[in-house]
Amino acid sequence: MNRIEKRMEELKAKNEKAFITYYTAGLPDMETTEKIIEAQRGVTDVIELGIPFSDPTADGPVIQQASYEAIQKGASLKRAFELMDKIRKGGNEQPVVFMMYYNTILNYGLDTFIKKCAQTGVDGLIVPDLPLEEQETLRDSLKGNDNTILIELVSPVSGGRIPGILKGARGFVYCVSSMGVTGQAADFHKEVIGYLSKVKSISSIPVMMGFGIREASDIVPMKDIIDGAIVGSHFINIMRDSGFDPDAAREYVTRFKREMNKGGM
Amino acid sequence: MNKKAYYGEYGGQFVSESLMNTLDEVDRAFEEAIKDPAFIEEYHYYLRQYVGRETPLYLAGRLSEKYGTKIYLKREDLNHTGAHKINNVLGQILLAKRMGKTRVIAETGAGQHGVATATGAALFDMECTVYMGSEDVKRQSLNVMRMEMLGAKVVSVESGSNTLKDATNEAIRTWAKTAEDTFYIIGSAIGPYPYPKMVKEFQSCISREAKRQHMEAEGRLPDVVMACVGGGSNSIGMFADFIDEKEVELIGVEAAGKGIDTNEHAASMAKGRPGVLHGTRSYLLQDEDGNIQLAHSISAGLDYPGVGPEHAYLKDTGRAKYVPITDDEAMEALMELTQTEGIIPAIESAHALAYAFKKAKEMSKEQSMIVCLSGRGDKDVNTIAAYLRGEGYLN
Repeated sequence: MNRIEKRMEELKAKNEKAFITYYTAGLPDMETTEKIIEAQRGVTDVIELGIPFSDPTADGPVIQQASYEAIQKGASLKRAFELMDKIRKGGNEQPVVFMMYYNTILNYGLDTFIKKCAQTGVDGLIVPDLPLEEQETLRDSLKGNDNTILIELVSPVSGGRIPGILKGARGFVYCVSSMGVTGQAADFHKEVIGYLSKVKSISSIPVMMGFGIREASDIVPMKDIIDGAIVGSHFINIMRDSGFDPDAAREYVTRFKREMNKGGM
Repeated sequence: MNKKAYYGEYGGQFVSESLMNTLDEVDRAFEEAIKDPAFIEEYHYYLRQYVGRETPLYLAGRLSEKYGTKIYLKREDLNHTGAHKINNVLGQILLAKRMGKTRVIAETGAGQHGVATATGAALFDMECTVYMGSEDVKRQSLNVMRMEMLGAKVVSVESGSNTLKDATNEAIRTWAKTAEDTFYIIGSAIGPYPYPKMVKEFQSCISREAKRQHMEAEGRLPDVVMACVGGGSNSIGMFADFIDEKEVELIGVEAAGKGIDTNEHAASMAKGRPGVLHGTRSYLLQDEDGNIQLAHSISAGLDYPGVGPEHAYLKDTGRAKYVPITDDEAMEALMELTQTEGIIPAIESAHALAYAFKKAKEMSKEQSMIVCLSGRGDKDVNTIAAYLRGEGYLN
């Protein structure tokens, strides 16, 4: 069974919400990235690892800057695979999703890329510039492959597109809380509650919310709807502010996960 | 897969989910509009009375004599605002108005598309924001001033390489955030479908006129049609009505900067590989990791690491040929046109001229070519002066 789907079932059995962090691979270097991932072992339910791209059009300033710096320091898809190999060989079984732009996949070669994902234990893919209409090629290549699944994104303005998007979705569905880009400090779309409720009502898999979340308190208004939260830009800021201290990462994710799951939050 | 979004294996709609409904809305509104006689009439009214179309097809007599073949220039430089960009802006802004949008945004490199968009926004009383890389803001201060005079807000983009590519990224991000009331006016034949199709439609007046004008002058079709290619808007407009005329040779001229064997050029056709950027799949300059490389050209309008998807298709099918011209060759052609015909062309257009002079050598007196003179060179005077002083270029 796919690691993400397995984790989602475990959480469901425990009636717990999922906590997912995003971190840009190679910020400030690959060794530190590894430490930050390891520090979250046993707490964070899914690690979203950003593969830096030169033109990240779905990202706000924080992740843009992180990607830019990571590329300058030599980060690449190839090195991210090496990192995956290392953590899996070290016994880390946490689900990992690569968040990456489509050109990075095409450049690597679709089939080689998917083989490499399976080999190194990449459990899922989030490709923000690959909407449903353009997924056919990637889906065909992933067919019959349980190791790596494609995570679907839904937006507050998806409307009538939602059932079509959810049809082939696996793992969890990633609901963006606002239109536009990552990291707009809790500035959720005006109809976020109605939209999340709609997705939840037709989704057979867990519904996660991301974009603009900083603390567990930010998701109080939708805590009865969503199955988990994704924090990206804010997590990167915390890492920067702490001088990329793995202990600060562990402290933050432990607190978020606890607060999110305590009764009457 | 949305088949109509593709030109062979190029094109598509590689954008975030937040923009998919918007693209669909734009597509439907566009298809309706171009079938609506009232829309077309209004568009043509502005092209005629405001832009000053049709533009002349000028037989450059002295050049024709020198090179031994008939060289016709399609004078897009005589358009209001000084280039072909306004043709497309007016079409898209009328569409935005029809869709009830109150705000337009645009990306710009050298500032020509930004100025054209700011002009259209002033004319139709719309709020306008133009995204421009901070490097370009410094180099093109005159165009920044023009846009601001026209009432547009110019946002200096500090991200990545601080040039056109990054300005486009920022425009796409803003669009994804504000698509509910904002129309993104893309100036080049790039972007997700239906943008390449819209830009072609609104630039096709160039070839529609030129074809008829050439028929009137020569009683037949031209042998060769030529235009410069950055993203490819003037060239797709210049090719449009000739694509089905198989006997007409189509040539796109891209910027070779300091040479295609250096690291400083913008020749995405000669040196790029297919990839996905700014919503479309096409030829792109990219490194081994698939990151987009910086383009270099003395001409800011050709300084883009990609090319429109239909051009990629025309190249692969062999219908059009794409050739590189260096900075030096373009500047030499620019001075030659200036001094033999009294026309100062944009440096972009001078790339097409430079290749025209080469091509003329294999043509006869009876044959003829049309070169798209996409813009005038007023905006380039500082760059030209610096080049002539041997200071390299400001771009």
